[in-house]
Amino acid sequence: MNKISISLNLNGTDRTILVYPNRRVVDLLREDFKLTSVKEGCSEGECGACTVIFNGDAVTTCCMLAGQADQSTIITLEGLAKDGELDLLQQCFLDEGAVQCGYCTPGMILAAKALLLKNQSPTEAQIKLAMSGNLCRCTGYQKIHAAVKSAVVIYKDKMAQGGESID
Amino acid sequence: MTKEYSVIGKSQVKVDALEKVLGTTKFAADYNLPDMLYGGVFRSTVAHATINSLKLEKAKALGGVEAVLDFHDIPGKNRFGIIIKDEPCLVDDKIRRYGDALAVVAARSPEILEAALALIEVDYNEIEPIFTFERALAADAPIIHGTTNIHQVKHLVCGDVDAAFERSDIIIENTYSTHRLSHMFIEPDAGIAYYDDEGLMTVVASTQNPHYDRNEVASLLGLPYNQVRVIQAATGGGFGGKLDISVQCHCALLTYHTRKPVKIVRSRSESTMVSSKRHPMIIKAKTGASRDGMLMALEVQMTGDTGAYASYGPAVITRAMAHCTGPYNIPNVRADATFVYTNNPMGGAFRGFGVPQVAVCHEGQMNQLARALSIDPIEIRIKNAHQIGSKLPTGQILENSVGFIETLEKARAKAEDVL
Repeated sequence: MNKISISLNLNGTDRTILVYPNRRVVDLLREDFKLTSVKEGCSEGECGACTVIFNGDAVTTCCMLAGQADQSTIITLEGLAKDGELDLLQQCFLDEGAVQCGYCTPGMILAAKALLLKNQSPTEAQIKLAMSGNLCRCTGYQKIHAAVKSAVVIYKDKMAQGGESID
Repeated sequence: MTKEYSVIGKSQVKVDALEKVLGTTKFAADYNLPDMLYGGVFRSTVAHATINSLKLEKAKALGGVEAVLDFHDIPGKNRFGIIIKDEPCLVDDKIRRYGDALAVVAARSPEILEAALALIEVDYNEIEPIFTFERALAADAPIIHGTTNIHQVKHLVCGDVDAAFERSDIIIENTYSTHRLSHMFIEPDAGIAYYDDEGLMTVVASTQNPHYDRNEVASLLGLPYNQVRVIQAATGGGFGGKLDISVQCHCALLTYHTRKPVKIVRSRSESTMVSSKRHPMIIKAKTGASRDGMLMALEVQMTGDTGAYASYGPAVITRAMAHCTGPYNIPNVRADATFVYTNNPMGGAFRGFGVPQVAVCHEGQMNQLARALSIDPIEIRIKNAHQIGSKLPTGQILENSVGFIETLEKARAKAEDVL
């Protein structure tokens, strides 16, 4: 098998890498780019721990091959805080106590972020649907949902005061 | 006067939450070291067997493979277990469950590791596998450990149960069964072993039990405790399922032989296959009460399946029995509990240690009594509820806080709001 060249925009930086085409994107990110916030929980797209934002959508990278990442834009949790300042969702997860063991946290935050990038005032049902691909075994989900709802409210207030857009 | 505290009564940001929302927290699988090898386990595909032959030569000959080990390579003791040392690191006498570890491999890449594991050949001499409680106790059943398949038998007697049943106005009898459950912690078990700068055998692992792990690794390698260090990595959930040894001993054994760091990360299916489970139980209960709903006698026979290895079985059977009345005053109690070994997955620690299983029983009994006597189900519970001063069938007197009646009343108020 020959390696193929993959070019992508990863957390705001253009990157090119030679990989085997059958390399999974979760391995590409964790092993080749050392982005270990991307977690592997089930290896079959069920638990959501390996979620990243791929061309604007929340996707599970354990079920994607490296070739699919060519010419894409990927955001992992490492790419969310800007200049040392936490993303609003990260702050809300902290404030609402939505973090317990922390293994599902990267995928949870990114699933929520992908939602808010498309829809800045989601309903409760829309939040639940957007987060439904991510399993948490510790919290019982209530605080995670509270964190996302809190981010929506804070963002609306900021926008009302003429603040910056969510991305 | 209410004192203002700086922490109590206030929301606090969890001490490790910042790293977790930033994604910088290191879980066991996130550790990588120079010269690190990838470790894996060759496992049995039958539940009960002796081994005619285990052929490791082809795997050893594969380029990039640095160690292929079986039980002969264990320098110390090949048995671990939190209460009873009955589980081998690598099978020596016989296989007792599907997924028992037969050999371990360390290789320079995950791909070579996978290829090496596929080159190992085993020839089994299968024994009838035991999957049910009844079969485990049959006279002609093969024995899984030692001389009997009975893992533990316990009894609890308090008062005169037979006389109390005779005086009872109503007797309710039922059989309850609960099933095996997997904790399904979100992070599959993982760990890395290495010799640190001082030459200490060091294991960083996803674990709930680093002190215990240290003792087992030391025993396995024949080292004094002060030559082994176990560090708990950030652990992605455990719920009791990471109290037993998972990858710690396998990693340490491979590092002992290769002198290099060795990392093992279990797949989800491997983790589910060999991690401990909630004990399935069958509970027969006979409850006697007066016409006005006062509990008079309880007779319970419980049977449990601890699977192939004891793990926390002895603790679970004791707790299940001690809690068989639930939070209710019952003056006359007779409980008999029997746990057996089978070739099923290992039963172990799982939130509540047997108490959730018996709760299914005592709450089922209370609901049926309430219905049969036309008493409100909360009322009948309050009538019989433990309070400060209550004496348990074990002889313990509850001297401190007992919040059961308050809890029931608050639950009733909340239910009335909703309904």
